[in-house]
Amino acid sequence: MTTTSGAIAVEKRPDEPAGTVVLDSVTKIFGESTAVDNISLRVEPGEFLSLLGPSGCGKTTTLRMLAGFETPNSGSIRISGEDVLGIPPYKRNVNTVFQAYALFPHLSVAENVAYGLQQKKVPKAEVREKVVSALEMVKMRSFADRKPTQLSGGQQQRIALARALVNQPAVLLLDEPLGALDRQLREEMQLELKLLQSQLGITFIFVTHDQGEALSMSDRIAIMREGKIEQLADAETIYSSPTSAYVAGFIGQQNFFEGTLNKDGNLENSGGKIRAAIPLSAQTGTAVRAAIRPEDITIDSKEPGPQINAISGSLVSISHLGETLQYLVDVGGGHTVLARRPRPGAPRLELKSKVWCTWTPESVLMFHAHEESPGSHDSPEE
Amino acid sequence: MSRLRLPRPILAFPAIGWLLIFFVAPVLLVLWFSFGYKPGVFQTHANDKLSFDRYAEALNPTFFTTFWNTLWVGVAGTLLCLIIAFPVAYWMAAKIPSRYRGLLIALVMVPYWTNFLVRTIGWQIILAPHGWLSAALNWLGLIDGSLDILYTRSAVLLGVVYNYLPLMILPLYVAFDRVSQDMREASKDLGAGRIATLLRVTIPLAMPGIIVGTLLVYIPLMGDYITATVLGGAKGNMAGVLVASQFQTAQNWALGSAMAVLLILLILVSAALAGLIIWLLLLPFNRSRRLVIGVAK
Repeated sequence: MTTTSGAIAVEKRPDEPAGTVVLDSVTKIFGESTAVDNISLRVEPGEFLSLLGPSGCGKTTTLRMLAGFETPNSGSIRISGEDVLGIPPYKRNVNTVFQAYALFPHLSVAENVAYGLQQKKVPKAEVREKVVSALEMVKMRSFADRKPTQLSGGQQQRIALARALVNQPAVLLLDEPLGALDRQLREEMQLELKLLQSQLGITFIFVTHDQGEALSMSDRIAIMREGKIEQLADAETIYSSPTSAYVAGFIGQQNFFEGTLNKDGNLENSGGKIRAAIPLSAQTGTAVRAAIRPEDITIDSKEPGPQINAISGSLVSISHLGETLQYLVDVGGGHTVLARRPRPGAPRLELKSKVWCTWTPESVLMFHAHEESPGSHDSPEE
Repeated sequence: MSRLRLPRPILAFPAIGWLLIFFVAPVLLVLWFSFGYKPGVFQTHANDKLSFDRYAEALNPTFFTTFWNTLWVGVAGTLLCLIIAFPVAYWMAAKIPSRYRGLLIALVMVPYWTNFLVRTIGWQIILAPHGWLSAALNWLGLIDGSLDILYTRSAVLLGVVYNYLPLMILPLYVAFDRVSQDMREASKDLGAGRIATLLRVTIPLAMPGIIVGTLLVYIPLMGDYITATVLGGAKGNMAGVLVASQFQTAQNWALGSAMAVLLILLILVSAALAGLIIWLLLLPFNRSRRLVIGVAK
């Protein structure tokens, strides 16, 4: 961003080059509810960061504060090392891809894309050139002179992307841009978005409630909950070592077991014991919750040897998920266990027969039970 | 089990029939009368001899003065309504929490439900030369002596703006309400300030409502004779008053019809001309923003 006069020269931080986004203890309160609660976050230039969480977790409010549509009640926001508080949206070097695209219906596709450049008084020939290359980038060159209302959802999405990127912002903000697309198109766009982002080297901040979307595209994911960041890490870390039961339940599916910690550091309940490779450091008798991913559970009709991590039940259903088969086992007491095996080599089992589910201690994550999980994945029938 | 099913478009026929009988037919009748004459003191019109003589009769200097006056009040009144209603409607549609909007619309509409004549006579009391407004302005030292506004063109202007304002506010409100906040935010996000967003996004998208509101105020305002009669007197005369007096007082339907036809033509031509002028004025602006890419070579 260019500063217009020397009189109000903005102090730039050398350790925050163009494309860096820093939120420092940012809080936003709407009436009685705290939408964003003391968030601090640093996004590196060229990074693809996702803000992931259920609706109402504050992810969209955070994005809107970066765009300049909301002002934080406290804390500071810096973009490319420059404090942007008090700077209106039209003077920030960021652009947004809106959830409903927000294309101007009275302008053609090309005029939509040209809008930002025209505001900056870019010469006409240059506008034309840049619009054409932006449309080519999103493969929409031949639709240039149509009206947005004549385009499909996916095409409108591309135009919204071109309209934002043509301005070469330091940071691109995306507010659930793929939410309105059907599944196949969404997966296609995920790949294209990621490709575009790595080619352009622009910082992307991507808001989504879809964990699959966040996992497939992001360099890092910030999992948000009630206005706070619950965990900030790369996809692999978040998937394999979630720091809380909330994160564990939010990313992917989990089998949750409730119980108390016994003197050996294992979970114990009426059904048996569960051992984790990394025990939870807590007092004996603490209420704990163990989480095991469905793909870490082995299922067989034969009774396994003497081991702790095993449970038997009746096979309720087998569903085909393409590359994997999913087994739902009724283990009694109203509880079910979900197991997933790769299709080649998946065991052939009879419905309603007695089966055994086993898992290694390494696949068990142990948490304090008072942290409730989102979406309640402990009954994995869904 | 067969039931008689009427074609769906039948639902449009009552309205079309109504317009044919009570709008098209009277207008044609007026046009027909305008080519006739008033044969005697006790007859209003006759059409056995057709001529343009009534038009020649109508186009006298008094009539031109009154027409000019009407056009002035019509254009100024419509512009004032537009200028006043614009921020109100925008504020109601874009800035006010939605739970208060119903109340605000009611506040705009309730005075409109009161009888037109009663409301206009109310202004007579307010604007009276020695009325309370006059006294208040004297007390404030803004004027000295009586308030000399009643029975002038200014009083008529005040009256029509007051009477027709709701007809402008409502269509503008609906128009602005349909321009979503997303649109304005997208515009600002792309570097357009408040004014640029207003000119390039909000107004173009609200244009159908602006045109509807303008016509909804301009057309009845040009034909209004109640406001002009009550507040205008001799100095604030309007064409509608002339037409009414020919029909009601002079009982000369032929001349009254000719005047009415001329008034209709004035409204149509002036509205079309205004549209053309605005379009021509905006042409360079629109041209500079147009961008046609064409097909790839």
